[in-house]
Amino acid sequence: MPVIELTNVSKSYNRGKVKAVDGLTLTVKPGEIFGFLGPNGAGKTTTIKMLVGLLRPDAGRIVVEGFDVAKDPLKAKQVTTYVPDYPAVYERLTGLEYLNFIGDVYGVPKAERLERIGKWLEIFELAPVVTNPIQSYSHGMKQKIVLTAALLPGPRVMVLDEPLVGLDPRAAHQLKEMFREHCDQGKTLFFSTHIMEVAEKLCDRIGIIHKGRLVACGTMEELRALDKTEQSLEGIFLELTEK
Amino acid sequence: MSMISRLATVIRAGLRSNFGLATLKHRLFKEKKDRWLVPLIGLAALGVLPTLYGIVLLIKAAYLLLQPMGQERALLTLGLLAGQLLILLFGIYYIISAFYFSRDLEMLIPLPLRPSEVMISKFAVIMINEYLTVAAIVLPVVITFGVMARGGVGFWVNTALVYAALPIIPLAVVSVLVVAMMRFINVSRKKDILILVGSIVLITASLFLQVGLGRSRGPQANPEAIAAFFTSPDSLLNQVGSKFPPSVWATKAVAGGFSGEGLANLALLLGVSLAFFAGIVVMSEKLFYRGLVGLGETTGKKRRLTRDEMSRRVSSGRRAGAAVFGREWKIMNRTPIFLLNGVLVVVIVPVIAVLMGTMGSGRGGGGGGSDLTAILKTLTSSNQLYVILGAALFMTICGSLNGTSSSTFSREGAQFWISRVIPVAPREQTAAKFLHSYMIATLGVVTASAVAAIILHLKAVHLAAAAGLALVAGVLLTAVGMIIDLARPLLDWTNPQKAIKQNLNVLLAMLADVGILTAAFFGVRALIRAKLAANVVLGALFVGLAALAVLSYRILLKFADKRYPEIET
Repeated sequence: MPVIELTNVSKSYNRGKVKAVDGLTLTVKPGEIFGFLGPNGAGKTTTIKMLVGLLRPDAGRIVVEGFDVAKDPLKAKQVTTYVPDYPAVYERLTGLEYLNFIGDVYGVPKAERLERIGKWLEIFELAPVVTNPIQSYSHGMKQKIVLTAALLPGPRVMVLDEPLVGLDPRAAHQLKEMFREHCDQGKTLFFSTHIMEVAEKLCDRIGIIHKGRLVACGTMEELRALDKTEQSLEGIFLELTEK
Repeated sequence: MSMISRLATVIRAGLRSNFGLATLKHRLFKEKKDRWLVPLIGLAALGVLPTLYGIVLLIKAAYLLLQPMGQERALLTLGLLAGQLLILLFGIYYIISAFYFSRDLEMLIPLPLRPSEVMISKFAVIMINEYLTVAAIVLPVVITFGVMARGGVGFWVNTALVYAALPIIPLAVVSVLVVAMMRFINVSRKKDILILVGSIVLITASLFLQVGLGRSRGPQANPEAIAAFFTSPDSLLNQVGSKFPPSVWATKAVAGGFSGEGLANLALLLGVSLAFFAGIVVMSEKLFYRGLVGLGETTGKKRRLTRDEMSRRVSSGRRAGAAVFGREWKIMNRTPIFLLNGVLVVVIVPVIAVLMGTMGSGRGGGGGGSDLTAILKTLTSSNQLYVILGAALFMTICGSLNGTSSSTFSREGAQFWISRVIPVAPREQTAAKFLHSYMIATLGVVTASAVAAIILHLKAVHLAAAAGLALVAGVLLTAVGMIIDLARPLLDWTNPQKAIKQNLNVLLAMLADVGILTAAFFGVRALIRAKLAANVVLGALFVGLAALAVLSYRILLKFADKRYPEIET
């Protein structure tokens, strides 16, 4: 059974004048890293926001772990965490207060909190600043605290919008390791990116969205089969999103 | 590009972004959203008309009282001075946040603009804000005066010029203080404390000024002084204005019209304003950017927690509602603008009332019937029902007529996405937010009760009855404020000031509150006219308010469930 299931999902802005997502259908299986690619304004962020319940689709159905996002939002949210493309977090709280808040609302038991917070703070080198207000963090550090918060509940599904933007090479490397580790436990990861190399190396399957429509979806091999002249993901991407 | 056109471009951009004109235009005409706001604002404006009419009548009465003594110009001075005081008071918030803490500075500073151009563009935005802020105080006074005194063309032309110049001197004074302070004192890392201390100092200063003015208003209790006071026209004006001469110049410029006195004073006011303005332009070239260096960086000490410390500080799991309440509490108290307009205002308003009350009683009368305490005491001795109702009204105003509940959702701003993705039901989050707003309202009721006990020496039973009514009314007004904010939360802000001080929802909620209190007033009046016993009137009011409180709270929770998924971030 797919973990994420989008069926004929559409969303438009300006009273239907701008179609951001147009009849999108795709599924993501358990344990899969799914990369979502597309040019600027193709509908990636809109799709991701609908997936986590921030936007309501005009049409179609989104199901996460068997829960309809529109009809059973709390159950879907309980198994999903989200990392936005811009780390807008409570600047007046300390890093630890924010993590405690997230732990409380997701109902994470104390032992698990201590273990996960300790682990990720060390990996992301946030341990020495965790009692400082988030206001004093750099952009990359804010990104890391949002990632730590998203990992804290040990979610079945993680949805990330451009998670590698703003991270230093070391943190980006560790995040990619985490992606693999997360999915090796049978959990699922859905993320958007502009970095072709990352998508090519890391993703089990890739979806390419252009002008709101899914123009290709499959493993790297399946995508290569679409266009025999192009061998790299970048070439395939440029070819598919040319018009 | 010439300096003037460059300046015009920066000012235009500043005004557009500050007042959200581009966004509003886009929403109204492109997205066709929020159109319902237009008739609503029209309706709200109509709702203000009776109050405005009342104020005009009051000013007219004061004019007629002062005119036979040749003192009517004091009215103008009072209006203008009050306006300038308000400018001074609001100026501190506007200037500190616009000059130093607004995020567009990061974008403006790298542009090829002179520091003075950036500062002038900021100053222009603040000026427009100030014109809007003081309009409610200054315009009714000046216009009523003009109509009563049959002011000619000179009066109206000078009024327009004086109004245009009014904010410059007070704003320049605040700017000099702020820019110099930022340059010479190393406060950049403690900006929160700076805003808080600055605001409290200014509030205290303005209070002292009021006390000073209050003292100077009444004549000394000896016959010669009284005679001298009345034989010299404008003596009251000069006494009032001696604390701040520009108000006297402004008064004489307005009242004098195109006469020699009018023009001379207009020239004086405009000249001094221009000089002050030039002064801050020169100063900004030298000092403005220097105070900014390093301001964007807030640093904290780096310290790793030990295993034990971490274990102590990692929560063992609170209920989701408690976590939301804790977040509201911390963010409100740690954001100076929110703290000032929420928690501090409910404490400060009753305290100001005490000061005004004690000030009035200390003057020994003769102040033109403005002796608040005496009026209140007369009232309280006459009828116990009125005592309780008056005290309840005072407590309700102190506790609930602020921007806490009506900015609850707006205050989350760009972070609202967190509330949308966490697995906590909207009604549960809203209930926690309600509890937070209501606690602040309760703090106001408690402070106001203490004040009522001190000034009016109310009996405990009367106090308890009044507090009971105010607490029930508080539930209703808090829920109504939250419903209004939830209908259209203002989430798109970078400066927290916008979320609470420049938020239309706060204004709409205040109008709604006034409407509810007026309806309650008419209800009570009908009961009193029906010759019902005091206890019955109070009981009916309590039951009526309680029923509305329960109803409004239920509507709020239901509305939260509906509205949360609709708010797209």
